Amino acid sequence: MTAPATAQRASTTRPRRPRPRVGTFVAILAVLVITVWAGDGIDFDLAPLWTDFGRGWFIIQEFLAPNWDYVGRTIGPFIETLSIAVIATLVGCTIGLAMSLLASRVTTANPILYRASKIFLSVVRSLPDVGYGLLFFAIVGAGSLAGILALIFFNIGIIAKLTSETIDAVDRGPLEAADATGASSLQRARFAVVPMILPNYLSYCLYVFELNIRASVVIGIVGGGGIGSSISVEFARFNYSNVSAIVVLLIVVVFLIDLLSQSVRRRLT
Amino acid sequence: MSAPTRPAPRPRRGAAPRPSAPSRLRYTLTQLGVLVLIIVCIVLVEAKWDRLLEAPALSLNYGGLMIEGLLQNPFSEPYSRYWTDAIGLMLESLQIAWIGTVIGAIFSFPIGFLAASNIAPRGVVIVTRQILNIIRAVPELVLAIAIMLPIFGLGPLAGALAIGVGSIGTLGKLTSEAIEAVPTGPGEATRSSGAQTLQTLRWAITPQILPEVIAFWLYRFEINIRASAILGILGAGGVGSLLAQVFERRDWERIGITLTVIVVVTVIVDQISGAVRHRVISGVPVPIGKAIV
Repeated sequence: MTAPATAQRASTTRPRRPRPRVGTFVAILAVLVITVWAGDGIDFDLAPLWTDFGRGWFIIQEFLAPNWDYVGRTIGPFIETLSIAVIATLVGCTIGLAMSLLASRVTTANPILYRASKIFLSVVRSLPDVGYGLLFFAIVGAGSLAGILALIFFNIGIIAKLTSETIDAVDRGPLEAADATGASSLQRARFAVVPMILPNYLSYCLYVFELNIRASVVIGIVGGGGIGSSISVEFARFNYSNVSAIVVLLIVVVFLIDLLSQSVRRRLT
Repeated sequence: MSAPTRPAPRPRRGAAPRPSAPSRLRYTLTQLGVLVLIIVCIVLVEAKWDRLLEAPALSLNYGGLMIEGLLQNPFSEPYSRYWTDAIGLMLESLQIAWIGTVIGAIFSFPIGFLAASNIAPRGVVIVTRQILNIIRAVPELVLAIAIMLPIFGLGPLAGALAIGVGSIGTLGKLTSEAIEAVPTGPGEATRSSGAQTLQTLRWAITPQILPEVIAFWLYRFEINIRASAILGILGAGGVGSLLAQVFERRDWERIGITLTVIVVVTVIVDQISGAVRHRVISGVPVPIGKAIV
């Protein structure tokens, strides 16, 4: 290949590089600015990792030597945590299904009702589980009732969001069929919509149950009963090896429940 | 499913008989099982159910106090201080969540490649996936109290690092799944033009997964905002510490203000993040007139 030969075939010249997009630069710049602002705001500094490691190491060592004798005394609280999670899941998911029917355009024709449900749900969702834990601890006092009520609200938000999105995407055929038979909107929801979303809905319920086991720990710490209460008591007494035993057991329980629920979910969908 | 409300019309002679209803045995058994489960749980949980009766009245009472706090002139003392405190600490929670997400994103991106079975060798994939599984099994709360708080002390930094490490677990898994789902065409094209492995990853794989991965990052950011509030209650900075404080004092006016700030800021950030996610996934909306030119 000689130089003149390439010159002749002008059509095979390299295509021009696309111009860099301004939007990309702006986005990257914005991310950098926010990161610097946030890092500055929380005094980001990794130096403690080597300067203060000794202080932490003492505690980490206790965590590495769990006190297995303590495990026997945690069975009661663990059963309480599981019971809290089961009750909250059942109640929360039932209310959540009703809310999700209200919060989907497919099942709710009234625009005001639809909007109101959407706004209500996004408010319910924006409060973290711990917020509900503190709230119900203050209203009904310490104990598992506070935990159950907190988890119910936490579940309504999640279930209603996931399920209403599923309802939005539902196949329109059965709906038209129900309409053609003169079904009321309630009958339409019950016999056309619910059967179609049921497998997904049940799978979300199991997912929420998994979340509840984890969340009930946090809610227990703020006074909602169950294993979380044991963690916070042992933590306050600096019995880190007891905390560690609970945590190890907790990870095992969470893992087993995840496995179980995932195998059921796989069969459902 | 439900019993017919009217007796079925007698079949005419010659007409096909009505099909018999499908068996409901499994359905009934499941219902019974769930019922038994509920009863067992209600017995085991030992909740003070009688408190449930007082709860509605109390909630109304407390709710009234919270609304009273909200309706006070927010520019008069001490309410102006309550509002600025809550907003300042909520911003700190956002900062914690952001830094946590950035840490998670930076580390999970290369880890995602190592955990993708179509990129990394088998041994590396198995080891990386196990590490990710372990991280995901440990709740952030435990990471915070067991490792970060002892080393970094009480404060927002410990919270941000706990959230960051926790984010690596989920983001790494999602990233690796996105990489495994990528079509092989662009990778073959770059390799046939003489690209090395790293160049293939950079120019064939990354552009294909980037929108999805950025959407995961934003989604995780939304989750992390809520997580940072939780960690605050243990003393890891942010609005959670204020929340625990005002609840301890049963200062309902302040509780109302703080909860309102949390709800409003979370909803706003969720909306922004959702809009950006949508834009990243589905691209720039092209006006029809321009598209032809």
